[in-house]
Amino acid sequence: MIVALFAVGAVTLGTLGLGTWGLRFARTTSDLLVASRVVTPWWNAAAISGEYLSAASFLGIAGLEMQIGASALWQSLGFTAGYLALLLFVAAPLRRYGSYTIPDFAEARLHSPGLRLLAAAIVLVIAGFYLVPQLKGAGLALNVVVGSPYWVGVAVVAAIVAINVSLGGMRGITYVQAFQFWIKVFAIAVPAIVLLIHFGGLPERAALFGRSLPHAGSTGFTVKLGSPQRAQFPEAGSFSVHGHSVHVKAGGWVTLPAHTPVRIPPRGIVPVASGTQALPGDVWARPVGGTGRGAPVLVYSLLVATFLGTMGLPHVLVRFYTNPDGHAARRTTVRVLGLLSIFYLFPAVYGALGRVLTPQLYMTGQTDDVVLTLPHTAWPGAGGTILTAVTCAGAFAAFLSTSSGLLVSLAGTFSHDVWPRLRHTTPSSPSSRRLHFRLAALGAMVIPGLLALVVRRVDISILVGWAFALAASSFCPMFLLGIWWSRLTARGAAAGMVAGMLVATSAIFAGLAMGEPTGGALALLEQPAIVSVPVAFLTMIGVSSRDPRVVTDVESQMLALHAPEGLGLRLGDDEAEGALA
Amino acid sequence: MSPGPPSRRGRGDANPNPPGRRLIPRRGVRSPRDELAEGTGHGHVYLRGLQRTHLMLSLLALVAFGAIFGVLPIALYLLPAFDRVRLLGAPLGLWIVVVPMLPAFVVIGWIYARRADAVDEAFRELVER
Repeated sequence: MIVALFAVGAVTLGTLGLGTWGLRFARTTSDLLVASRVVTPWWNAAAISGEYLSAASFLGIAGLEMQIGASALWQSLGFTAGYLALLLFVAAPLRRYGSYTIPDFAEARLHSPGLRLLAAAIVLVIAGFYLVPQLKGAGLALNVVVGSPYWVGVAVVAAIVAINVSLGGMRGITYVQAFQFWIKVFAIAVPAIVLLIHFGGLPERAALFGRSLPHAGSTGFTVKLGSPQRAQFPEAGSFSVHGHSVHVKAGGWVTLPAHTPVRIPPRGIVPVASGTQALPGDVWARPVGGTGRGAPVLVYSLLVATFLGTMGLPHVLVRFYTNPDGHAARRTTVRVLGLLSIFYLFPAVYGALGRVLTPQLYMTGQTDDVVLTLPHTAWPGAGGTILTAVTCAGAFAAFLSTSSGLLVSLAGTFSHDVWPRLRHTTPSSPSSRRLHFRLAALGAMVIPGLLALVVRRVDISILVGWAFALAASSFCPMFLLGIWWSRLTARGAAAGMVAGMLVATSAIFAGLAMGEPTGGALALLEQPAIVSVPVAFLTMIGVSSRDPRVVTDVESQMLALHAPEGLGLRLGDDEAEGALA
Repeated sequence: MSPGPPSRRGRGDANPNPPGRRLIPRRGVRSPRDELAEGTGHGHVYLRGLQRTHLMLSLLALVAFGAIFGVLPIALYLLPAFDRVRLLGAPLGLWIVVVPMLPAFVVIGWIYARRADAVDEAFRELVER
């Protein structure tokens, strides 16, 4: 896989190089303001999309689609629709208000330093949760490229991103993120189209849409496992080790040995690793229905989480400040919707092709690998190798851009909001503040890195779904009510965010502790947004309406949020720039 | 990271107009701009009007979104016929999920953004007249 290694290296060095080089032109947070004079909505939209498209979009959707079928595709719709919610309710008012970060908004709108600290703590949790799947993707990808153990990939990418961010790379560099977007679109679209042309459309429709379970192709296949794997034969079938054939009856469990070639005969049924799911074609192709994750209540829960969670992701919001005014913020968001729509047409292709052409991933349990391994496994030879190099490079672009953006938010929040409050000191000098930022960037990678090692068996899509659920049940109600409801109070906002976070996190950890929730109400533990979001909203409204300590200057707050620019009613641009510099 | 926007208290005290252009307010004839900047009862009415128009527009777009997309999962669940009808060999339900929804979001967003800008423009004319 020399070609793939070369492509990944080129993307990594290019990203780091451009980030560091671009930094020479703009050193402080006000580079965002300076950039806003020249950056057009198209560049801005590409940059937002570039930072947004993460391992979950690049690898996770296709991987989940292999397992649960068409119901995984709601995820790509939800990820896009999140920007519609942002456009309708948040983008222009928030840009007009002029807060850089979520804690900034919380404190300025409700005049509560305590609320700022709470918001900062939630930013740390959400960004940490979102970093875990990025690192998991990195571990898988490096394994495909150079065959390294899982933990090596996690450690390498965590170290690269932490060092790069702490040295100051990737900060607010709009053009780098915009290029990253086009790299990712190229890397997901071109291999998908070439593969579809090569195979003449979707092969083996019977396996995709008929009654059959995943089975080996006409030549069978051989897999060498890295560790012993428990697997179940959904139908009677057989496998052979060293020419010694073993027959298994339907529903039988086997332990497949490691480090020896395990062979599945031609047209043989594929054993499915424990923790992985394989469905018959007709159930697989159904967008809603069936059992488990395709159940309507879970689909809606996922849609609620993604629709409302996008606006609460810390690394997304800061990019909106690059827009010069509220009008441009709207135009940028519409373009983001368009750009994401291009990208999200393609992950579905990999899941469908992977079901037919790389069924061994059901056996290894690594369906999250499908985008990376599909091209060279399904199409041996130079063509497939080059396409795999392309998808690997795109995946690395996805990890680097998203995890850098998240780490900048994490480290910034820690050094700017949390650390001074804990020490009861105001940051003394710019140099000590920069030192805190660097230490925070290095330290903030440790916990997500360790978590990524623990959750190896959990699908990337599930992990990212948690981050969205947390954002939707904390920051989304604070934004929606803070922007549109003048009665919101600091105590109400705090109570609502705490309630939403408690419900969501306890559901997620209960689900983890109980193992595999398979269906019914228990499945909601995996994606609790449909419960936790209403809890957060109702708590916020209920506590605020009884709270006597109302925000006194709510008139000028609403003026700052909703009045268009250029009327002399709000801080002028010059004044704002002076205040932020 | 910024130190946060300065407190918005006292903004009403600041002279909202550039020095040379300030009209001497005559008793009884006050522009909407003055009413808004000084936070009077009339200013309150203007601002609430703007906010309400924007919220209605956003909710209208949300209803359109819900009617097109929000009902889709339950419709596909209740009408299995979508899965039996085939288009180019793939079930119709699958096509509906993958292809037309994303452009629909863009169209809703585009129409909304145009209307929202028009609302802002109308408010600007009100204040600047």
